[in-house]
Amino acid sequence: MATLSTDVLVIGGGATGAGVAWDASLRGYDVVLVDRADLAEGTSGRFHGLLHSGGRYAVKDPDAARECIHENRILRKIAADCVEDIGGFFVTTPYDDPAYADKFANGCRDTGVDCEEIEPAVALREEPRLNPGISRVFRVPDANIDVWKTVWALARGAQQRGARILPYHAVVAIHRSGDVITGARVRGHATGEELDIEARVTVNASGAWAGQIADMAGIEGVRVLPGRGIMIAMNHRMVNTCINRCQMPTDGDIIVPMRTVCIIGTTDEHTEDPDDHHVPPNEVDRMLDDGEKLVPGFRQARALRVWTGVRPLFEDAKASDTQTRDVTRAHALLDHAERDGVQGFVTITGGKLTTFRLMAEDTMTAVSRHMGDERPCTTKTEPLPGSEDGATYMLGERLERKEKNLVDEQIICECELVPRWKLEESIRRRATTNLDDIRRLLRLGMGPCQGGFCIYRATGILHGLDGLSAEQADKSLLEFLEERWKGTWPILYGDQLRQARLDEWIFQGVLDVEHLPLSLPEAVAT
Amino acid sequence: MRGELHYDAVVIGGGTAGMVAGARLAEGGARVCVLAKGVGSTHLAPGTIDVLGYAPERVTAPLVALGDLVAARPDHPYALLGADAVVESARWLQARVESGPLPGYRYVGDLERNHLFPTAVGALRPSALVPETMAHGDGESLERMCVVGTRALRDFHPALCAANLGREGIAARWVEAEIEVDKADQNALGLARRFDDPAWRAAFAGRLALKLQADESVGLPAMLGIRDPHGAWADLEHRLGRPVFEIPTLPPSVPGMRLYEILRAALRGAGGRLVLGAEVVSAQRAGSRVTSVATRAAGHDAAYAAPWFVHAAGGLGSGAIELDSDWVTHDRVLGLPLRGVPGPDEPRFLPDYRAEQPMSRVGVAVDAQLRAEGAENVLVAGAALPGAISWREGSGEGIALASGSRAAQLVLSAGGAHAEAA
Repeated sequence: MATLSTDVLVIGGGATGAGVAWDASLRGYDVVLVDRADLAEGTSGRFHGLLHSGGRYAVKDPDAARECIHENRILRKIAADCVEDIGGFFVTTPYDDPAYADKFANGCRDTGVDCEEIEPAVALREEPRLNPGISRVFRVPDANIDVWKTVWALARGAQQRGARILPYHAVVAIHRSGDVITGARVRGHATGEELDIEARVTVNASGAWAGQIADMAGIEGVRVLPGRGIMIAMNHRMVNTCINRCQMPTDGDIIVPMRTVCIIGTTDEHTEDPDDHHVPPNEVDRMLDDGEKLVPGFRQARALRVWTGVRPLFEDAKASDTQTRDVTRAHALLDHAERDGVQGFVTITGGKLTTFRLMAEDTMTAVSRHMGDERPCTTKTEPLPGSEDGATYMLGERLERKEKNLVDEQIICECELVPRWKLEESIRRRATTNLDDIRRLLRLGMGPCQGGFCIYRATGILHGLDGLSAEQADKSLLEFLEERWKGTWPILYGDQLRQARLDEWIFQGVLDVEHLPLSLPEAVAT
Repeated sequence: MRGELHYDAVVIGGGTAGMVAGARLAEGGARVCVLAKGVGSTHLAPGTIDVLGYAPERVTAPLVALGDLVAARPDHPYALLGADAVVESARWLQARVESGPLPGYRYVGDLERNHLFPTAVGALRPSALVPETMAHGDGESLERMCVVGTRALRDFHPALCAANLGREGIAARWVEAEIEVDKADQNALGLARRFDDPAWRAAFAGRLALKLQADESVGLPAMLGIRDPHGAWADLEHRLGRPVFEIPTLPPSVPGMRLYEILRAALRGAGGRLVLGAEVVSAQRAGSRVTSVATRAAGHDAAYAAPWFVHAAGGLGSGAIELDSDWVTHDRVLGLPLRGVPGPDEPRFLPDYRAEQPMSRVGVAVDAQLRAEGAENVLVAGAALPGAISWREGSGEGIALASGSRAAQLVLSAGGAHAEAA
């Protein structure tokens, strides 16, 4: 069996784990990061994309609000290319308690969240689709953040400093020698081969799965309470500002414009299983109704895709099992040397995407102390690869580039303006045959047609580039179609159902992919 | 409103079913108007005439399998139409193709036996009748072939096509042909226009010939001419000295657009009228009869009155039938009762992509004479009919042809009496 040796083994390739890998590599440690799936395929990649200003927590959780605004200001600089400065409104709709608005303003003042009250008429001029019945509006520095881009920038930055990033490597055992954790054994998804990784310190950054990893290390009582929430992407930016209901945080109270779409979130249901991704129909209806309260006509727009994310929340004595939103969103760093007398192992979980850098900093400060050399953190000021110029992302960057290259640049995904060269470069760099990996990287197939036109093209290009067998290419295509269906069937109505029908015509009719040789042995029941 | 326009029959929908119904009504002497929101299924489908491809196993003899299907599924449109109607309407279509606006172009094959033709991904797909430009792609007689693509066309990937055909036992290799373009995002239609130009074609053939090996047929994406496909295809076969055939790919479908031109010429040649961009937005009724429909077209609204209407506006795919966000399914065209809609407590879709989806067979409820439930002078044709999953069955054109033809016959045989009564 092959063996790797490293200073820090990070388990979990979400924003926190990738942040730890980046922080550790900047401190000069040797790092290996493993994830059972693709990077940011779990909770990180399944949220609404909001880079919090802190306003959401200003009343309920002032410490979280302070952390958010602090990190918001840092990420705008170090991850500028991943952040779009859309700004945010907190609006009092006719459905909200009008008394909350003053509490909100006070909370923002006390926690240092920049907040300016503006006239509803001004807000409605900026966002004409907002509910005209809004009575108060506060402007805050919300932004959106492309989490896949961020996580890959973190991973790439770490790689440039020698880190080894191993997506699709699942932990099968944690190595423990007496009271010392010495690393882990992982299994590669593609090859099935196992690999032993020896590490001076192992960081459990597996989020909602942290309890499972701690169990493997023989550490008891790390209990993460998974809170499952659904999000729905609508087919265009119905608003260009992040819109929050000015009320105590609840379900369906945020709409985040994200690239070419906008995302409404979220629900919050207790679940036992962090891999629970089912979408209850009543939650879809609730989300659409909540959207209607913020943007009248929301239900008439086209929903593109629905997904669930599972928040890793720590149990708190104040909260019952069924009310996960009341559990603190602050992160938890468990130093198992102090907690359990087990050396070489720390767990970082809880928290929120906006504070991933801080979580990584705290983690690596503890790890560095254990290493005995207390190296300083530099992630507050070191820009991620791609963000060196400090310019935030502008919607329209892709279109601007395309307009300059009408003759030379072939577009493969029209919805998201993904050019052929970019697709080819990404396939080569990632060395992946999974079109869903490419989707996360480039947003390929994430627009209104959900891959109807681009996925045949991308399959052809994937096959041509890699000397991939036709059988593998067919498998990639079919897996993409099945994966897409999981995210679309619960929200198929109106024009998106028409689109789904057109896509069925293309794949099942024109291309007849279901009768490719040997790929689908079972016949389709009719 | 500019006042009502009066016709003997108004057909709603400009896909295959609506155009066939309109053309056959016009040929039968009716004053007919086809109202279409836009072009229909023709531009999306491969341009083949598929009667029954899967039931659910691959079908070799479509007419025989059609009989078995009808016995097993009495709610299927073919149960109302019968095999004879399919045969008759396919003959009619072949005749219209041959007398149509594309000189020399024709459909070949017969309904007794499906043949297998390559798709752009390299699957073999069963069809009964195909344009002559595809005929040499018959998978059973193909031995050695070369799939020819061009980087200029992102909608066709010859290496993948050839590799999958190889897995089907066909000795297929692939080459890329150079085509210079003035913009990077070409589709098959843009390239098809070039194949109409004999000089351009000759140069293309000259370059391609250098890359070919002896004794191999040539498969190209379906783009061999839009105005003169017979000329383009025959010329390429002649210049390359070997069988050449088209392989259908992503929309817009060039062979489908040819079929649309043929049907439009048949309609107009017989005196029928086609109004594009005319979405039906409301209908007037008198009891159980629809008396007129209103359209909203660019610039003005118009109303069309007739003793007979043919609803050939399609199903969920065209938007004629809609599932709205309150999960109510309705006919947006005439508000007619539907069949095949899952009950309020039943699932509409299932998590398994490959499963038969409960919403798949939704359509406008009809009686045995294609008459819409609750509207005695409305006949239903094509994808608006309930009971078929045409994209999986490979039955779309068979149903469209037979039901469009049947609707026309029913109007023609009964319409005179009604017109007099009115």
